[in-house]
Amino acid sequence: MNLLKLILLVFVWITPVYGNSIYNLIKIPNLEIYEIDTENRLKYLYAKSSFRLGVQKNIICENSNKDDLDNKYNLINKNLNKYSHNFLKKISLKYIVLCENLSISGINTAGIPDNVMKTLILDIKFDHKYFERVIHHEVFHIINDQHKELFNKNKWEKFNHLKFEYAECSTCTKKIGLERYEKTDGFFTEYSKSTASEDMAEVYSHIIYLDPKKINQIRKLDKILDKKISYIENNIKKIDNSFMFK
Amino acid sequence: MIKKIKASNSEKIIFCFLILLAVITLGTFIILKNKCLFVKNYDPKNINFKNSENIAILNAPCGNIIIELYPHISPNSVERFKRLIESGAYDNVAFHRVIKSKLVQTGDLEFGRKGSLNYEKIGTGKSGLGTIKSEIDNKFDYTKGSVGLARTFKNDTEDSQFFIILQDEPLYEGEYSPVGKVLYGLEVLKKIKHRRHSEYILRPDFINSFKMYK
Repeated sequence: MNLLKLILLVFVWITPVYGNSIYNLIKIPNLEIYEIDTENRLKYLYAKSSFRLGVQKNIICENSNKDDLDNKYNLINKNLNKYSHNFLKKISLKYIVLCENLSISGINTAGIPDNVMKTLILDIKFDHKYFERVIHHEVFHIINDQHKELFNKNKWEKFNHLKFEYAECSTCTKKIGLERYEKTDGFFTEYSKSTASEDMAEVYSHIIYLDPKKINQIRKLDKILDKKISYIENNIKKIDNSFMFK
Repeated sequence: MIKKIKASNSEKIIFCFLILLAVITLGTFIILKNKCLFVKNYDPKNINFKNSENIAILNAPCGNIIIELYPHISPNSVERFKRLIESGAYDNVAFHRVIKSKLVQTGDLEFGRKGSLNYEKIGTGKSGLGTIKSEIDNKFDYTKGSVGLARTFKNDTEDSQFFIILQDEPLYEGEYSPVGKVLYGLEVLKKIKHRRHSEYILRPDFINSFKMYK
């Protein structure tokens, strides 16, 4: 044990200190600035090389080539520009990390939100078909984490049919389909059925992404989704009354 | 009778060489020992300031650092900063965190004072005036020489500690409350004692004095 301490001490002693501002701010290594001069003051960073995060280093993401970054940046920026600086401040989102093949414990994921670090990690290689909507899905998780008091899971569950039950967690179910149902019946997608918070995020992302006419049509046909949409809209307005869903 | 021995030419050359070597060695030693030798020390009396009421003079081991404060950008932070400067609170306080060519941090009034340094707690001390709210909404370019108030991991925890950056740090905008910018004396800051292997300094340099110009 003492030998181990000695080796560690020697290692620290011979390792020069280089202050890394990005790491100091958001605790993610190997990042560089992609774009920081944006309208809503979001700071976009990209992975220069792959990184691992978490106590067990179970979050992994890889670096991308410049063309992929440039292509996806325009799409991401277009979607995140819907949010004003004032709103982003209220939900605690400031840094967007762009990388690819993002996974947690080997399970691929589109994004990892972290409201404490004011950071959203996005997998730019995530399924293009759902990519834009998924950005807003992940933004909702930031909103939810920052304003837990507004989004009550028990109240939400009561919107569903009595016999319906969510899974224990979003990764302990096979309900991961992101395709929107033709006939909704209380849920936009199969993934909505995984957990209450994923369901909320799916509802929110559809409100933002779909045409308002389509949303109104769904509201008229599906009373459960109508209640869920109203719940999300009302609570988002509590965070920022000037927020525009379109 | 003592016979006078005349030095040969080669002996004379060796003798001259040894003297030259001694002079070079001594000169080098003096230059290396005196880290402030080529650092220009700015005298504020020789400079005309536009906003002299917002000029602060920090005297460090190698000379003066002249800072302009920006109350129009961070009014509360600058008010706190000025209050501490005017009370002489920063005099004899350590530059406890220094990253070469990057950042110099000081202002721990509780654990960073000369004579009562607490190496275990340095960097966590308070002023006794309480914390103030972060002022991070106004646009500010964190370019080389910018001065900002340090804080803990959370916002609204600024107190007395401040840092001066030695390179541009664009990501600091919106993170740290800016209080001003160094007008003269960045070279003085670059000479503040740092360690290669750690941000925290054993036997650090100290602020000699920190005063408002007017």
